[in-house]
Amino acid sequence: MTDLNAGSFAVLGLFDSPDALMAAIPRVRARALGRLEAYTPYPVHGLDEALGLRRSPLGGMVLVMGVLGVVAALVFQGWLSAVDYPLVTGGKAPSSWQAFVPIMFEIMVLFATFTAGLGMLLLLNRLPYFGHPVLQSRAIRGITRDRFALAVEADGGLDPAAAASARSALEAAGALDIEVLPEPAAGPLFTAEGIQRTLAAIVAACVGAGMLMYWAVKLMPVLPPMSHILEQPRLNPQAPSTFFRDGHGMQLPVPGTVARGFLPFPARTPEAAAGMVNPLPVTRAVLARGRSEYQVRCAVCHGALGDGVPTLTAAYGAKPANLLAPANLALSDGRIYGTIVLGKNAMPSYAADLAEDDRWAVVHYVRALQRAQHAKDEDLP
Amino acid sequence: MSVKGVMSGERTGRATRGVPPTVTGRVLWSLTVLGGCGVAATPFAAGAARFWANWMLWFLYLLTLALGALFLVALEHLVSARWSVPLRRIPERVASLLLPLVAVGAVALGALPVLFPGARAEAAADPHLAGKAFWLGAPFFSARVMGCLLLGLLPLWVLVRGSLRQDLDRDPAFTVRARRFAPACMAIFALLVTEAAFDWIGGLEPEWYSDVIGVYLFAGAFLAGLATTTLAVLYLKGRGRLGDIRFDHLYNLGGFLFGFTVFWSYIAFAQYMLMWYANLPDEVHWYQARIQGPWLGVALLLAALHFLVPFFALVTRDAKGDPGRLRWVAVVLLAAHWLDLYWLIFPQLGRTPLGSWPELSFALLFGGGTVLWLRGAMEKGEDMPVGDPFLGEGLEFRL
Repeated sequence: MTDLNAGSFAVLGLFDSPDALMAAIPRVRARALGRLEAYTPYPVHGLDEALGLRRSPLGGMVLVMGVLGVVAALVFQGWLSAVDYPLVTGGKAPSSWQAFVPIMFEIMVLFATFTAGLGMLLLLNRLPYFGHPVLQSRAIRGITRDRFALAVEADGGLDPAAAASARSALEAAGALDIEVLPEPAAGPLFTAEGIQRTLAAIVAACVGAGMLMYWAVKLMPVLPPMSHILEQPRLNPQAPSTFFRDGHGMQLPVPGTVARGFLPFPARTPEAAAGMVNPLPVTRAVLARGRSEYQVRCAVCHGALGDGVPTLTAAYGAKPANLLAPANLALSDGRIYGTIVLGKNAMPSYAADLAEDDRWAVVHYVRALQRAQHAKDEDLP
Repeated sequence: MSVKGVMSGERTGRATRGVPPTVTGRVLWSLTVLGGCGVAATPFAAGAARFWANWMLWFLYLLTLALGALFLVALEHLVSARWSVPLRRIPERVASLLLPLVAVGAVALGALPVLFPGARAEAAADPHLAGKAFWLGAPFFSARVMGCLLLGLLPLWVLVRGSLRQDLDRDPAFTVRARRFAPACMAIFALLVTEAAFDWIGGLEPEWYSDVIGVYLFAGAFLAGLATTTLAVLYLKGRGRLGDIRFDHLYNLGGFLFGFTVFWSYIAFAQYMLMWYANLPDEVHWYQARIQGPWLGVALLLAALHFLVPFFALVTRDAKGDPGRLRWVAVVLLAAHWLDLYWLIFPQLGRTPLGSWPELSFALLFGGGTVLWLRGAMEKGEDMPVGDPFLGEGLEFRL
């Protein structure tokens, strides 16, 4: 790259008017010497057509990327909102296309503008290009003021023979001043020294950023992340409130309030509850729920079969009730329910652990266990 | 290319002028008269509501079309555009439709007691309408509409008549006057389009409210005026007039069409999305009537004709300046603007879209009448504003 005799970047001819330039272009083009390029102080109409430049592919690139942006935003939002984490927002269905459109529009604009800007600069204009040879030429003063340059260029440079014929073609076309531009020397960026300097600059920047962050954390009050979640308008327990008339944040429920799933239970003993009727129907779902709750809460003492012989009995010498005993077979639903709520002997109350419906589901399941262990012939399917 | 040639009129192709072949004219006249017979039969055979809905639709269609053309003229004066100077005579001629529209609008006021709840006698008893009784009532409504229609003649007088006179006296003072008047013309234009949208479209359902309906109608109006202008330019160019209009001028028309399809879609979707999101009962019922049941098909067709088809037809560079492409896209956009107004007005008449011989008759009468009027208008004055000092610059326009 440093061998100046290997070739030249371009042969540049100067003209003193756009008309002279336009007249010269077809004459030089006819010789087919290489790629033609024009350098002018202002846009000259018809230059692209005269030079035979191909239509810029930028429009097609932007269209493809714009469509890609729309599709990407649609797929991403659809997957996120309707498939991966379906969430009802504002009473709308999770897959509401209307809500996706603004994002689709914005992502389309983002993709399209980035493609247009970066594609033009980096791909089509081949930037960054430091030290373009024309900037170093003698002609550049004229080109930026009142001269119009036509250059014969070729990818990989012109060899001396091609440069000579380009010179003669430009002379024949009436160029006022002809200049041969040497190939640009390779930039100092990728020499060993340049790479060392770059690495040193990166290390220095990292150290600097680290020190800056350290001192920023030390000296400035650190804000809790997402602190606004703490600042919601809510009532903290035990805290005063300006909302209620008595100034207390905690309030008694309104008289007559019934907590969801906790109906009043006036009975004081299991026997007093004997008359209650199980409100749940016997369905497969209720029995499955009852079995699940029974196995979690009850089976540890009463056994998986309800026979009161689990492993705990041996370990602690406890004697839980055998639910299959004839005396227990005769108990009413309400009586079993009362025992669950109030407890009996060593058995504590399960009112806090089992919701209203769960208790009745357990009662159904106990009935099913009892029937299973005393099955008759007609119970067989 | 010399400006002198333009000034003497030789490049505007006066030599090929003349009334177009009479066969087309006779066919147009017959179709218009045929449509007129159908229109006359409509109130007796299909009901008064349908007659007035159609009449109102065509009044608004032509009003927005003429105002859109007037906007193009005023826009050129406002921003001192040069590229459109050679084309300016065309939208000026299209804007002359405002003259017969004063009569069409006066007749359209007959729709008030039939279609407008606020103008009926029982409106006083309705608690939702009683407070707006003065605004929606027939006396002030009619005064407002007629006032606006007459006000619309002022820009027509100043800009269009002045431009025609400049052909003769070549006085550059008109160009200065027009540029000074253009901002006022814009204010008048905004007032007229907003009035048309709020009174004629909003008045059909006074409980419904949308801030953006004026801008929505403006987008459609400009597209309609622009599409008509484009068609007229291509028609004249095809007849050998407007010979110096090049790809570059057509490209700008195509670019405007392309840009305003997107603008219309943006406004239309913004209005829909906000109402869909808020889901307020007094807003959303308007859309329920328009996108549920059979009307959904009309809405989808509208989205296709007003956005998808013109957008993708004009997206490439060559398409924006291609006469063949521009011609059919302009026709599609004019049809889409009709469908737009149909979609705005006709859900008032019922849950199913009506479309049969009354709509066809109205289309023949008003469409044929408009074409006849514009054919006559195309012979008024020179084809280019030969007195405009910037005509030469406009002819030299390059992208």
